[in-house]
Amino acid sequence: MSITNLLNNWSFYRQKRPFRGQYDLNKQYSEYKWAMALDLDICTGCNACTTACYAENNLPVVGKERYQHGYAMHWIRIERYWDENMGEFPESGTSFLPMMCQQCEEAPCETVCPVGATNHTNDGLNSQNYHRCIGSRYCSVNCPYKVRYFNFWNYPSTAWPSPLQDQLNPDLTVRTKGVMEKCTFCVQRLNEAKSRARTEYRLVKDGEVVPACVQACPTNAITFGNIVDPKSKVAKMWKNQQVDLYKDEQEKDSSMRGYRILEDLRPFPSVMYMERVRDMEA
Amino acid sequence: MVNTYEETEVAVEKKFVKKEHDINADIEWAKINKDILRSLERPRAIFWVIFVASFALFMVGVSCEVYQYQTGLGVANLDNPHVWGLYVATFIWWIGMGHSGTLLSALLHIMHADWRKPIYRYSEAMTTFTLLTAAMFVLVHLGRIWQFYYVVAYPNERWTWPNFQSPLVWDATAIGTYLTSSLIFLYIGMIPDLAICRDNAIGFRKKIYLFLSLGWMGTDRQWANFRVTYLTLACFLMPLAVSVHSIVSTDFAASQQPGYHITSFPPYFVAGAIYSGLAVIITLFIVLRYTFRFEEYMTIPILEKLAKLTFAAAMVWTYLNLIEYASTWYGNDMYAKQALIYRATGNFAPFWWMMNFLGSVLPFALAFKKVRTNIPVMLVLSILLNFGMWLERWMIISPTLAHGIYPWTWDHDQWPSFVQWGIVAGSFGWFNMLFMLYCKIFPSISMYEVKEMLYERRSFKTKKVAEEVSNPELAVEGGLAS
Amino acid sequence: MSESGINRRDFLKVLGLGGSSLALTGCGNTDIRSGDEVIMPNVQPEDFVVPGLSVYYASTCRQCGSACGVMGRVREGRVLKMEGNPASRISGGKICGLGQAAVQVQYNPDRLTQPMMKVGSSLQPISWDKAMALLDEKTGPKSGIKGEEFGFLTGAMSGHLNVLTQNYMESLDSRNHYVYEALSPAISLAANRRVYGVDQPRLHFDKAKLIVSFGADFLGTGASPVHFAAEYAKFRKAPRGTLVQIEPKMTMTGGNADRWIAIIPGTEGVFALGIANQLLKHSEFTGTVPADIVDLVSKYDADTVSRITGVRSELVGHVASLLWEKTPSLVISGASVEGHAHGVQNAVAVQLLNQILGNVGKTIDGQAQSPFPQLSPAAGSFSALKAMNEKMGADEFKAVFIHGANPVFTAPSFMGFRDNLRKVPFKVAFVNALDETAEECDLVLPIFTAVEEFGSNVAWYQPEGVEITIQQPLMNQLYPDTRSMGDIMLNLVKARKADEYKAWPDFFSYLKTAIINIKPVVKYTDTDEHFWYDTLSNGVIHVDGAPQQVSAKFAATDLRLPASANAQDPVYPFYLVPSERHYFRDGRHANCGWLQESPDPMTTIVWDSWAEIHPKTAASMGIKEGDWLEIASQNGMLKVKAYVFPGIHPDAISIPLGQGHESLGRYAKGVGVNPFRILNPVFEKDTGELALYGTRVSVRKTGNSEIVVKDEGPVNTQMGRKLVVTLPADVAQLSKEI
Repeated sequence: MSITNLLNNWSFYRQKRPFRGQYDLNKQYSEYKWAMALDLDICTGCNACTTACYAENNLPVVGKERYQHGYAMHWIRIERYWDENMGEFPESGTSFLPMMCQQCEEAPCETVCPVGATNHTNDGLNSQNYHRCIGSRYCSVNCPYKVRYFNFWNYPSTAWPSPLQDQLNPDLTVRTKGVMEKCTFCVQRLNEAKSRARTEYRLVKDGEVVPACVQACPTNAITFGNIVDPKSKVAKMWKNQQVDLYKDEQEKDSSMRGYRILEDLRPFPSVMYMERVRDMEA
Repeated sequence: MVNTYEETEVAVEKKFVKKEHDINADIEWAKINKDILRSLERPRAIFWVIFVASFALFMVGVSCEVYQYQTGLGVANLDNPHVWGLYVATFIWWIGMGHSGTLLSALLHIMHADWRKPIYRYSEAMTTFTLLTAAMFVLVHLGRIWQFYYVVAYPNERWTWPNFQSPLVWDATAIGTYLTSSLIFLYIGMIPDLAICRDNAIGFRKKIYLFLSLGWMGTDRQWANFRVTYLTLACFLMPLAVSVHSIVSTDFAASQQPGYHITSFPPYFVAGAIYSGLAVIITLFIVLRYTFRFEEYMTIPILEKLAKLTFAAAMVWTYLNLIEYASTWYGNDMYAKQALIYRATGNFAPFWWMMNFLGSVLPFALAFKKVRTNIPVMLVLSILLNFGMWLERWMIISPTLAHGIYPWTWDHDQWPSFVQWGIVAGSFGWFNMLFMLYCKIFPSISMYEVKEMLYERRSFKTKKVAEEVSNPELAVEGGLAS
Repeated sequence: MSESGINRRDFLKVLGLGGSSLALTGCGNTDIRSGDEVIMPNVQPEDFVVPGLSVYYASTCRQCGSACGVMGRVREGRVLKMEGNPASRISGGKICGLGQAAVQVQYNPDRLTQPMMKVGSSLQPISWDKAMALLDEKTGPKSGIKGEEFGFLTGAMSGHLNVLTQNYMESLDSRNHYVYEALSPAISLAANRRVYGVDQPRLHFDKAKLIVSFGADFLGTGASPVHFAAEYAKFRKAPRGTLVQIEPKMTMTGGNADRWIAIIPGTEGVFALGIANQLLKHSEFTGTVPADIVDLVSKYDADTVSRITGVRSELVGHVASLLWEKTPSLVISGASVEGHAHGVQNAVAVQLLNQILGNVGKTIDGQAQSPFPQLSPAAGSFSALKAMNEKMGADEFKAVFIHGANPVFTAPSFMGFRDNLRKVPFKVAFVNALDETAEECDLVLPIFTAVEEFGSNVAWYQPEGVEITIQQPLMNQLYPDTRSMGDIMLNLVKARKADEYKAWPDFFSYLKTAIINIKPVVKYTDTDEHFWYDTLSNGVIHVDGAPQQVSAKFAATDLRLPASANAQDPVYPFYLVPSERHYFRDGRHANCGWLQESPDPMTTIVWDSWAEIHPKTAASMGIKEGDWLEIASQNGMLKVKAYVFPGIHPDAISIPLGQGHESLGRYAKGVGVNPFRILNPVFEKDTGELALYGTRVSVRKTGNSEIVVKDEGPVNTQMGRKLVVTLPADVAQLSKEI
């Protein structure tokens, strides 16, 4: 009976994550761990990534009134912050921050979901199983980044007046009312690439697959890849910036720009941001 | 129903518990049966007023839920990231109220505080129905209510289990266990009374009571088994009740949300639960006393005892509440501190201050005997205390979701829609309706235990012949005894 | 070709390849099969659809004039998503949000699906046969319409559709082809021509160590935002360049600046001359400009500049010293510099800095000469609309065609454009959706969207060589009753010059012939068919060409800036800054849900218009966010919600363009306000262009207030959290990074 299944897998699921050896090319558990590096110095805040996400992931356009109420479904949003001690004018510009699901290793959302609708996949993603989701919204409560978006309305019936539904991406579903959704790192693309690679007896090559936001970004501010592969660009960038996936406090040179947001809460995010640079003499 | 076994029991009891003049010891046993069984026949007209009003309220809630089911939770005006609102707050509140009934009954039973006897039955019933009401909120709150059973750990062909790490699963399990046990506790405690009903009923009701009384004949063997079972269940329920609300509190304490992530939440929630439960017992005490003409059994001294207990619970709650504020204020958690400041100064500030006033300041009125013994005042006061406790739950849920860790998503303007208010109102209708139905169908005062109580009082009284004066507090206005 | 009976020179002209400096080595393959036989993606979807598999086809984005090469993801015959085409040097495989919204234009629920004819005061559907018969009756050869009685208003166009249009106008013997863009670069081009002798020099962001941008929102709008964003990224990599932005209202580019300076609109030239004055004090810059200019510039000492521009006086010297320290640098100007009566002077003054600093030739050079000048884009201008409007007002037209522009929406109300348009007896609009202009027309013809259409495009700004981006349909036509604009144009030309065009049954075959004739220029050696398919699958044809050498020359007369640019106006005290939103531009794609819901980067407002007002001004007037304001100019009044925004000069009010549609569809209609309406008749004095930034307004609080719908929460800082961390450039070691 399923109790066997439960007990067999329990020890693995109960592991404190991330643990060394969880991801390695010798495939103890997984030879993939998807990660990102996002350079805030060259992000211009243009929102191309957001629109790409709408196009790729069938995100509904909710309309003005619902946007006002906080029902926007942008899986990746661009935040704009002013400096706290700004004078009369924002003389050093503004700060843009693209924020999407950080695909945390020790994800706060995963532990609290009563039905296990959000899980850690073997390749280090924070999956969201729409069919299993019962809409308790506990994951959103526990998400420190607040990047989970709940379907408060039945968008399939309103958001795509004919023939707009022809644009929908058939590789993933259109979510109905009552389920939680969030950035998946475009898991439909990743899975396709992984199966293609598997049929060719190889691993996914660096740059072979990227999420829609990375693909669109006009300044190439986002780098995406398999951090297990030491030759991948993203792994090199993490290493170069001295950011360790497995640590909650980084010991790095002050000249290095890598950091993870809200690291002190110990979610071990998979997205490394790189600090905005400003020429203070300008 | 004379029982020699009783006497030895009473003899032991006397050593520990001081007996008081809380009930007229001269009530005839036959009259007890008559008075209490009459509550199954013809209550005051107010009963029907309450019942119809409750049903109407319930229908309001049902229509709101139908609308919400059809349209989506957006109609409740919940939003991202303010995903929880009145449903969760009111859920905790109902769950909390459910604590006092069984806890009071079981604890006082174990402690041999026999003034509980006239009031424990309806308190237990209250527990059962508040739990049912709370469970209803769990369902109403879900995005996909039609799949609520995914939370339950049951073997199934999909080989899927709920996530045992999730406090919500603990919740579902704990509440399920508590509801079942409370129901059994309530039912077992009712068996001797059901036999009395059976003996006095005719027609189809006789058949029902016949079935429900499980062949109770009042034999020694039955009484002995009954006592052991009842005591065992009471011992089992005590820690269970404490654990249930502790577990409910982990829904919050185990999360990262500032304002939820507080170590003192389990005792704080339990204290709050007992507090609000006692308050609602007082409210129902007054309602039942009038509706079913129970003035002789639900006496002012018992009310006063309840009030004192409430005061104690209020102080424990206040203490734990202040601990929460202090540890947040002096702690190093910027997020939690900002959330606390927001609660005291932001959009929800009037409610937050009202909550603190109603929960911590108002109970000091109970220090006065004039207040404790004044029925209209106590009715208003108990409702206000409970409103304060409801506000407490809401003030935990909403302001912190509005003002969490991530400043970009702060969401100060959220306000529950009429659907949320409607369903909350409907829950009162649902509870009252069930409770009133219960009191109409089953004896809401334990007849056999009141008899025990009287027996005890009489044996106590005979030893104090000289002080045979009528206690003015026992004077009952308009009661049948006069 | 012999059977076509036309000579070779005409043939090349017909194909848009005339004037080529390169000899074509042969007429090539004229064996053009009919379109339905050719392997064309999704012309016959049932043959090429593999269920469940996505296929990517190269095409060109037509959402703005940058002509980025894009790839369309097609599945089961439907285009699902637009992505950048890595073969395109303009897009570099990237795409902006506006480009992605092309699929929402395609599947727009408010698309026009059949021809409409005005009956009485409303548009009624008619059949294509009747529509074309009507068109022929009114404008065909038998109608006897004279060239001067016919006008054709288009948006900026390039490539072979432009060639056909020109040829059609020629066949009519009409000179009335008006190329109109509401947000045209005409003033900038005029200034460039004056200084460099070319329309648009090439800018090398990546080579500059310092960019001083006077109001140029190159990351968001302008010539080629996707390309410039990529260049900007290179510029920010080690050794990291510094960006200084000087503008009245913070644009997205300004938000990314290391130093942002607020300035009174119209005084940018003065600021530039002030910097020039400081720079010319350095001995190494003497002799870089003529003496009369040195003389003129020397009037602009820091205090004078500060008084005129409203910028703190030390910043003049500060920017000058930055420019002096960091070479090579690049100084550029944008719309807020140019949109004034003295716009050309302003822009020339800005360019003077490049000359002093010796940037010309280092970070600025010329674009490559196109071998196909006929294909080059016709940049739109406001003066074209003005000319047409005057002729319409004088009842000179019997018929006008309008394609690719929405002048009823974008023309300022002082022009009375709508009334003048109504005077024309026969007006035809070629549109995808019923916009304000189409509503006024007598015949509205639904045409293919950019993703259904064949075409070729040449961008106005070319990063390297010349790139001809090929537009191929990404799917079959969605509605049977829509037609290709290319086919329509070809038929119109054929009606008059049947012989020259009889070889081509449709625009597709015409385009194919034309493209195949480019083959020798790019030295392709395989067969014509291969060339055609290679071109289609690449999506671009690169024609290499050496950049033209440019040199700058300045005349002191071009630098005479008006002294009264910052004159006080007691009735209309504020400068109106009608800002261009990066995904809205002139508002033609406002009916896309994605764009409406894409937050404005600086304010994060969605689905609305707003008035940006500085906190200081707002405080002095008691204005809070969400207060309804009445913004009035001499020519009209707008009611719009206030957004308190620190990135704006206290004397300026900024309202974004592109919203306020009265038509166009459910997502655009009634959303926001249209600042075009209230613009004053202020014209750039050298070019006659509308001075967009030349309008003064008054602001009045109405007392009502409403929530501003935006993504931003109740706070706009990080509240002490470590979300975006800023590292000083001297600490960062970008060179050590990967």
